[in-house]
Amino acid sequence: MIDVKDLHKAFGRHEVLKGINEHIAKGEKVVIIGASGSGKSTFLRCLNLLEHPTSGTIMFDGVDITDPKNDINKLRARMGMVFQQFNLFPHLSVRENIKLAPIKLGRMNESEADKRALELIERVGLPDKADAYPAQLSGGQQQRIAIARALAMNPEVMLFDEPTSALDPEMVGEVLQIMKELAEDGMTMVVVTHEMGFARSVATRVLFMDEGVIAEQNDPGEFFSNPQHPRLREFLSKVL
Amino acid sequence: MGMLTFAVWQETFAPIWAQSLPEWLQSLLFQLYQTFIYQDRWKWFISGLKVTLIVTVCALALGVVIGILIAIVRSAHDSQRAGSRNPVLAVVDAVCRLYLTVIRGTPMMVQLLIMGFVIFIPKTETDMIVCGILALGINSGAYVAEIARSGIMSIGVGQMEAGRSLGLNYAQTMRYIIIPQAIKNILPALGNEMITLLKDTSLVSVIALRDVTKQAQNVVAVTYNAFVPYISLAAIYLVMVVLLSKLLGVFERRMRESDRR
Repeated sequence: MIDVKDLHKAFGRHEVLKGINEHIAKGEKVVIIGASGSGKSTFLRCLNLLEHPTSGTIMFDGVDITDPKNDINKLRARMGMVFQQFNLFPHLSVRENIKLAPIKLGRMNESEADKRALELIERVGLPDKADAYPAQLSGGQQQRIAIARALAMNPEVMLFDEPTSALDPEMVGEVLQIMKELAEDGMTMVVVTHEMGFARSVATRVLFMDEGVIAEQNDPGEFFSNPQHPRLREFLSKVL
Repeated sequence: MGMLTFAVWQETFAPIWAQSLPEWLQSLLFQLYQTFIYQDRWKWFISGLKVTLIVTVCALALGVVIGILIAIVRSAHDSQRAGSRNPVLAVVDAVCRLYLTVIRGTPMMVQLLIMGFVIFIPKTETDMIVCGILALGINSGAYVAEIARSGIMSIGVGQMEAGRSLGLNYAQTMRYIIIPQAIKNILPALGNEMITLLKDTSLVSVIALRDVTKQAQNVVAVTYNAFVPYISLAAIYLVMVVLLSKLLGVFERRMRESDRR
């Protein structure tokens, strides 16, 4: 589904991604871990072109998203993204946050979008918050709504950029639970996170990034019980 | 149009009760009479006020439209990533920056003189009003542009990213997500600019536009008395500014309510 070839990304002279090759198949739940500055968020943000690669190609469903001839807006509409800082629209109610894109992009009419929004609000467990504003919600609730907003476009893949890193510890569980349910429903997911428990229980594959390359990857069992790369051993000894 | 003297006023126009008042109060009454009532001079002020209000409202609208357009061009240009800059946008941005430099770098009075005597040369009253609106609107636009740009910049980059990640294009994200939030943030500064513009309309008298300031000057010219006309003029501006501030305050509170509930 997503095919990354020789991906490089530099900010000025600073090279963050130094040649990444990766294939993500439909239905996979790929968890990316690594120290801060290893390039994992940059890699994820390249996948929907929030960062433009310096070189290399990213094929999504057979289309090269880095080619300016392809309409990136159409491609982005097929990928959902969830941010560390939630990025809900503070001037819109929860319901309006979710309805905005489907309506403005002509996917649904007002009543269809409203029905879908309520469905999704129900699904993330906040049925009484439909008409609340983001500022009235806790961090965990905001992130659940952000997930609902991304799902409103019926994406084929969901990208999560450290979705629980900005949350108070007692709210991490509720967000991970929603993500787990999403995984069980068969969604293709790419998740950058520090939640090793989530990686262990939900991932089909775990990638370890270090210094702008994927230093090691494996299924979660092997990855955590039998790490090979010395940097991964060091990293795991610190976080586990 | 004979000049009314204090003695004539005392004899013919002054009410009887006024004769028992102290001298200075009588003099003040005389001046008020002379400024507003004699030969229906209050009509001068009213017609001047009309011109002032028309010029203010139209110039404000023009300034806000120019300002928001320029702010969008400037921030669109600045937010482009290195390596894939749009050459058309670069040219438009350069023109916008030139406009900002020239307008903010020259006095409003000089701009009015140039507009009124070099570029436009209005003949009729309507032409003059249009000329005044253009000069003030173009001037205000430069200041509104920077205010609006600060508003757009005050919205975190995450909002743009969230909009774009959903598949909205740049213009849609601006329109539905960034601008509505930016407007709320810039209301106090925008209100300030509106008040400044309202008062700056007093300069249009230099292109012979008969606004309320010009009319007050006309009254002084026939009465040889500056005190009452000019103090009244100041009071008129003060009342207009206070009303405008109240209006802006109400508007601001309403915008804030919509996001608390």
